[in-house]
This record gives sequence, structure tokens and C-alpha cells, in this order.
Amino acid sequence: MSVPTLIAAVSPHLVRVPISTGVASALVALLMLAHIQFAAFQQGGYIILAVTDFLGWKRKDERQTRFSRGLVVALGATFAFGSALAIFAVLVLFLGLWSQFFVELVRIMFWPFVVEGIAFIGEIVCLYTLYSQWDRLANVRSLRVGLELLLFINASIQMLAIDVVASYMLTPRPSNSLALNLINPTEIPLEMHRFVGNIAFAGAVIALVGGIRILFSRKPEVRAHGDWMGHYGLIYAIGFTLAQPLIGWEYAKEIQLHAYASWYSMMLGGLSVAFLFQVFLLGAIFTVGIFYLWRRVKLGGYRSPALAVCTALSFASWLLISTPSSLAWSYENVVAANANLPIWQGGLIIPWGQMIPFKLVALITFTGVAIVALTVYLKHVTKGNLRWGDAGRAQGAALITVGVAVSLIMALMGYIREDSRAPFLITNKVLINQQQNFTPPSSAGPALNGPSSVGIIVPWDSVP
Amino acid sequence: MSSPSQPGRSALVAKLTRPVARPMAATYRWVDERMGISDLTHQLLYEATPRRGAWAYSLGSATLIIIVLQIVTGMFLLWTYVPSTTEAWESLNFIEHHDEFAAIVRGMHLWGAYVLLIIIGLHMIRTFVSGSYKKPRELNWIVGVLLFLMVLGLGITGAMLPWDQAAYWTAIVVTHVVDYIPLLGNWMQQILRGGPQMGPETLTRFFAIHIWLLPALLVPLIGLHLVLLRRHGEHGSWVNYEGVETEPEEVRKERMAKAEYPYPAIPSDPGYAVPVDLDDFFPSQVFKDAVVSFALVLIIFIMAVVVGAPLERAANPAALNYVPTPEWFFLPLDQLLVQFPQAWMIPVGVFVVPGIGTTLLILVPFLDRSPEREPWRRPEVMVPALFATLFLIFEALLAVNRLFNL
Repeated sequence: MSVPTLIAAVSPHLVRVPISTGVASALVALLMLAHIQFAAFQQGGYIILAVTDFLGWKRKDERQTRFSRGLVVALGATFAFGSALAIFAVLVLFLGLWSQFFVELVRIMFWPFVVEGIAFIGEIVCLYTLYSQWDRLANVRSLRVGLELLLFINASIQMLAIDVVASYMLTPRPSNSLALNLINPTEIPLEMHRFVGNIAFAGAVIALVGGIRILFSRKPEVRAHGDWMGHYGLIYAIGFTLAQPLIGWEYAKEIQLHAYASWYSMMLGGLSVAFLFQVFLLGAIFTVGIFYLWRRVKLGGYRSPALAVCTALSFASWLLISTPSSLAWSYENVVAANANLPIWQGGLIIPWGQMIPFKLVALITFTGVAIVALTVYLKHVTKGNLRWGDAGRAQGAALITVGVAVSLIMALMGYIREDSRAPFLITNKVLINQQQNFTPPSSAGPALNGPSSVGIIVPWDSVP
Repeated sequence: MSSPSQPGRSALVAKLTRPVARPMAATYRWVDERMGISDLTHQLLYEATPRRGAWAYSLGSATLIIIVLQIVTGMFLLWTYVPSTTEAWESLNFIEHHDEFAAIVRGMHLWGAYVLLIIIGLHMIRTFVSGSYKKPRELNWIVGVLLFLMVLGLGITGAMLPWDQAAYWTAIVVTHVVDYIPLLGNWMQQILRGGPQMGPETLTRFFAIHIWLLPALLVPLIGLHLVLLRRHGEHGSWVNYEGVETEPEEVRKERMAKAEYPYPAIPSDPGYAVPVDLDDFFPSQVFKDAVVSFALVLIIFIMAVVVGAPLERAANPAALNYVPTPEWFFLPLDQLLVQFPQAWMIPVGVFVVPGIGTTLLILVPFLDRSPEREPWRRPEVMVPALFATLFLIFEALLAVNRLFNL
């Protein structure tokens, strides 16, 4: 029986999955946002692992070696759980609830998915070799570091493949050429945004764990290690987040040029409040992070006016960037209320909440002060001015705040990006509301035209 | 163990070559007595260099070799190239289609420029990371930065000479950008264009800058760079100074007293005047320099043969839909140009930001005055430099993305 005939035969037996589009959306959103947290931690964590293990080896630093061991265990455990989420999402949620969209996506992006699958296998091999043979590999340290780098490369290839897919969904090229769609307008900015963001996120998670140990552990040696972990993770978190204003700006610029409706939705439309909350979280990461650096140096007995000024500037920028551009949910509400005037003239517009120049100035300030603060802090560290174990409750709370803020911003960004395409799942190609309205193909397409012909068979009813 | 027949063979060789060898040796002695070639060779080749990390130090020699290659290939191109708006493109078109040797030479000139920029970049990164700019080598760092800027200038002026579409519209963009400089912009634009509009004089001026003005500045600066290098010796990197900070004063003094030429480098931070472990420049370092330089020249040759140098259609000022794409080494600047879309902000993007960056690069030796050489103990320069490098890479990638998706 040919595939088209099979489809024609089973079509009458296919049933609509008995849940609404809203619930289906929420299920996928929850699962994928959770998966992104794990995947980002993996990808960023692998390079931190390789760097730390290398430093521990070359500098004969037992603390870094011990931390690397702990990190590889954490990465192994989170990989198992995060991968299970992804596999469940693909096999059940995408194929079951969003089959037309997913089949269409796989048909166009078949090769990126294949590449991702191969790199996934590579990741499994490298990660579990490290996980199970860690102590043996200590005798061949170069091989261990090499495996860690290979692990990072595998994860980066997967990220590249999925970024191609994600960016395509937002800004597809009019052409059906895979080559052209691989480098669609938002692919490179998204790739850079995630590459940097994942390392920052992994650093923030490490800082969060350090903060928890500072706050809740009673053993001095565990607190001391938590103190060092927190500082070490935060360096990555701040060091990589400081590049995000530039990359994020460019990413938004490309969305504005190539998917204006999505850009409008994010910046001025229904998602603008969520976007404002996102920049609020960005401000929180910088301000609380720099505040930690300042207070941590002070705990070592050193006053640092430069860090105090950086904290103050960051706080001022946080206030500036968190100011809404209007006292309304969206710009449409402002126009509808005929209140496109500054608030002192009876309107709803807050001039210093505008993107240009105010939010732009705040973003540039964040980057500038973060570079200065990190430089000053690291100078204190290299001079040996800090003792690990001194950190108090304020430092622990600051580290946890940064970790939670970065985690929230990751989830929120995913929500904003995916929702900005509404009503499309793939911009101008696949609609959200097409998903539950299955129409059997009227003519037989080419035999096994990718997985599209079979992917829509939903086994919720008896199939002959 | 030597063979019993060796003495006999040596005597035979000496006997056979005597009619030629004796006059040659006498001639060399005569010239040497008058020119001091032996002394000069001895001075040039016999010096000490740091032993560890020696392959990384070959980047400087490789830069010099490629600059020489550029000069030689440039001279060959002058035999055919005509610097006029009516004949420049024709002469290069002739090379590309009727003169295979010249086409390869042209390809080597282009790829030589690309490789040169990469190698200079790596050389500067190596120098920066190792803290080789620290006293007494501050002046040499400044000269190196000036050389880098001149090579960039040579790159952009050279790109305009073919007078094809790419060259013409690059010249339009470059001379247009200059106009954004407050007060002086219009005057500078007219100087570069040879008038208010693009014309024959524009090409002549860029040609003169490319083959006369910049080389005339470049060559003396290279000489100064080498003289300063010989004066202070190669610093190497931190791996050549392990333990110097904690060594006893007597040991340090003894090391200084026994230092081979050109060490000790004075004035220097305590312990850093002489590397701990030294090697001979000849033959050890010369061999490594030769291998790296040969490999690079080979790569340039292969790229010239396989890829060659592109030549678009002849310049057509009426083709207003042509989108000029900058040379890859100007992609970050091109991206900065579009990131400041409003006219009054463009000078900030293309002059103020790069200007501040260049000034800071020149001032690095005076901003980083601590005695530390290890990169992880110098966050005050390493963190901003890392960010600046990432910034340039990101800007280049974003420019590629923008140009590809136009």
C-alpha cells in the first residue's frame, strides 16, 4: 500500500486531539521553555567545564579540578532530564498536537535536524565517557580536556542547527532553497545571542548554586567552596551578559527589517509589557551582579570607589530602562485613547521611557560599567585580596537573585519570540489555527515526500 | 666514526675546486675588508632569543617577508597597470585574460594583503597577550600599531585601483564617509577626490597614496621597528620568566651579568631584563621563521592560482543599484556605519568610536604599567581587549549577515 493510499484510508479514522489550541500551546510552551533551560545550561556549561578543567590542570589548582568534577556530574544529570523533555516534546506534543506545522518544518529543515541528531549522539558519547571515566582520564588530562572541547563543539552544532530552525520560523526567506534559508536574516544574530547567552546562563546557574551553599550550608568548607563557586559563576554571567545589549540590539534590528509585525508586537504591541519586564530583568542582572562585586571586594577589607560608582550608574540605568514608554498596555491603546502626548500635557506618553535615546543610553551604560566593574574586581582577585568563605547573606542572596533573573529572562525571551509570530507558527507560511483542522491531501505527492505524508497520522483512533 | 676514505675525498674535492675557490675566497675577502659583510652578518644572525614559545615569535619575521612579497608583486603589476580611469580596468582585464603569469602575480598581491593582515593581527595579539609592550619596548609597540594602520590604509587604497564596479563604489563610500568629519570633512573629501566629484584625479590620488605615500612611510617605520627589536631583544612571553619575581637578588644580578647580546633589556621591571632560558637566533629561530614564512608564501601562491583575484565589470557611475561590499577587514567599520543611521551620528560611529579604540591601542603600554606579564594577572587590559576583540568579530559577522540578506 503506497503512503498516499494509506493516508486516504486512515483519514476518516483520524480524530482531533481533544484539547484546545490554548492548552496545546501552553503544554508545548511549558515543556520547551523547560527544555531550553536545560539545553542552555548544557551548552554553556561544557565550555566552562573545559576552561575550568584546563586551568585546574595547568595551574595545579585543586579547587578548579574539584569543581570540574562536580560540574560534569551536574551536566550528566541535567542532560538526561533535558533530553527526555525534548524527545517527549517531539514524539508526543509536536507530532500529536502540532503535526502539520512540525511536518512542514521537518520537510523544509530536514538536514539541520539530521545534523542535530548526529551531534546529539556525539554529545552522548563524549559526556558519558567523561561522566563514567573521569578519574581514569585524570591520567591523560589532555585527552579529558579534548573530550570536553569536543562535547562543547557537539552541543554548539546542535544549537546552530536548532537556531537555523528557530530563526527560519521568524524570518523565512521567500525562497524554498535550504541554503538561503540557512542564513536567513535573523540566523546569525540569534546564534550569537544564544551562544553568548548560554555561557552567561550556565555561569548564573553556577552562581546560584554557590549562593544557595553560602546561605544554607553549615559546614565552613562547603560555604567557602560555595563562595568561590558563586564568584566564579558570576564572572561568566556578567562577562558574557555584557555583550548582550549590542547583540540583542542588532537582533531586534534584523527583526524590524525582516519581520516588522513581530517587531511591532514586541516593541509597541501586545508583547511590549513582557519585553519591558525582560529589560527590567536585564537591569537586575547587571545591577545586582555589580553590587555583589562591590560588596565582595569590601568584605576583603578593600574600599573600591570605582565599583561603588559602577553600582550607582548601573542602578540609574536600571531605573531608566525599566521606565515604560507609555501608561498603557500597548501603543494601540494610546492611539485609541487619543493620548499620544506627554503625560504633563494630559497624554499617556512618558518621553524618558522611549527607546531612542534613553533605553539605548542605558544599554550602553550597562555594557560600559560591567567592563569596568569586572576589570576592577578581577584585579582584586589576582592580587589575592579576597578570602573564600567570607561571603555573607547579602552576597548569597545577590548570587541567587542573578541566577533567578537569568533563568526568568531565558524563559521570557522564548515566550516573547514565539508569541511575536502570532497568528503564524512559521511567518507567512503556517498558521496556528490550521493545526487542528486536518484535510487529507487530494492528490498523491511524490512517494515518501519527506516525513510529511506519514507524520500526520495521529494514533488516537484505530488505524486499519 | 669517520670513514677512512674521507680525508682522501676531502683532499680531492679541495684540489678540484681550488681553481675556483681560491679566486672566489680572495674576492670575498677583498669585498669584506671594504664593506664588513662578515661583521654585519655576524651582527644580524648571532644574538640570543627566548627559547620557549619560539614558533609564536616567527610571526614578526613572517610579516616582514610578506611585506617584501607585496612590494615585489606590486612592482611587477606596475609593468602592466595603467593608473587612469579609462585604462586601469582594461589593463587588469588584459592581465586576467591574456597574461597568466601576471594574473598569478596579481592574485598573490591580493592574497598576500589578506594573509598579511591576518598575520599582523596575530602578531599584535601575541605581543599584547604576552605583555611584550612593557618597558623598555613601549616605542616599538607604538611603531607596530602605526604599521598596522598603514597596512590597513594600503589595503583600502589598493582595493580602489582596479576601477571596476567594486573599486569605484568603494571609493564613493570612502570619500563620502570622510565628508562627515565636522569642519574638515568637505575639504578632505575634495583632497581625496581631486575635486568635488569623483573623476580621473581620484584614481590618480589613491594610486599615489598606495604606491608612494604609504610605502614611503612604511619602509622607514619597518626599519625603526627592527632597530628597536634588536636594541631590546625579543621579550618572548611569560613562560620565559617563570620564577623571576621570587628569585634572590644575587641570582638575578648574576643572570644580568652573564646575559648574551642583545640582553639585558634596560630599563626593565625587576627580573624581566633577561629571559631565563635562551636560544640562538641562528640557526634555531631563523629555521622556525623560514618554515613559517615559506608555508605562508606557499598558501598565498596556492590561493593566487586556485582562486585568483576578482575583477568585476568596469566602473559604471550610472549603475545606481550596485551594492558595494567592503573588503572583509573593513566589515566591522561598515557595520558601525549602518548602526548610526542618523547623519549627525555617523561621525561617532566611523570616527569617534574607532578613534578612541585606536588611541587606547597606542596607549596600551602606558595604561598597563604593572610588572605582571601573565595575561590572567593583567585583567585591567585583558578584559577590555577581550571585549573589543569580540566586538570586532560580532560586528563583522553582523555585517556579513546584513549584506547577505539585503
